[in-house]
Amino acid sequence: MALVDSTQQLLEAAMRGSWQRETALTNNIANADTPGYQRQEVNFESALQGAMNGGESASQVEFHTETEPQETGPNGGSVSIDQESAKLAENGLDYQAVTQVLNARNEIMRAAMGVQS
Amino acid sequence: MGLFDAIGIAGSGLTAERIRMDVTAENLANADTTKGANGKPYQRQEVVLAQDGSAGGFEGALSGALQRTSAQQGGVQVTGIISDTSPDQQVYDPGNPEADAKGYVTLPNVSTVTEMTDLISEQQSYQSDVTAMQTSKTMFTSMLGILK
Repeated sequence: MALVDSTQQLLEAAMRGSWQRETALTNNIANADTPGYQRQEVNFESALQGAMNGGESASQVEFHTETEPQETGPNGGSVSIDQESAKLAENGLDYQAVTQVLNARNEIMRAAMGVQS
Repeated sequence: MGLFDAIGIAGSGLTAERIRMDVTAENLANADTTKGANGKPYQRQEVVLAQDGSAGGFEGALSGALQRTSAQQGGVQVTGIISDTSPDQQVYDPGNPEADAKGYVTLPNVSTVTEMTDLISEQQSYQSDVTAMQTSKTMFTSMLGILK
């Protein structure tokens, strides 16, 4: 098993995707009152899933910020502030979960190498 | 995609909401102003918001040509503050020194109720931007935790 295996790459890619998603969601919240604004979304999970099914390396996957045309509210924008806040909270927790797993794996590796932490 | 993009975007949202609150406060303060700087009743001001960095400037054009999506994520900007052109209110008050021959005073087109509800909406949007910024900070801290 290589030191940087596919799980490690997958976790790193998930961090990258989650970070990009955070930027898109923050942009949605900042533009909650902008007339005509269409919400943005990063579906990094499906991109990663596709790469895994296709046998692609997770570190090669690029995530795309997509604009989602949706039904619009009274100001012509498509942002629902409660939904965005919920997604933001979920994404933040996702990110922390991934970093915790990465931390745990690093701990295991340190222990195997006999490094005192 | 930069590390601090999200914090910058939330910051632009905070600035925009702050300006909207300033304008709402000005509208409320002048709700009964019958003589503005031009001698006419005060006109209600409105803030125009637009998505920032969607197409503007050299950087936007270059990023668009390179098909980099990150350039589209620039937050929000105030493109202008415009006057609300809806008609002024006519209130019958013959004792007022500003009253016309028929006893009507022309008051600004400011509705206190509208302004107060706008204020609540602006405050909540501001709060949401703060929450978004805090989430980014938490994520950043947990990223730094990997280095420990």
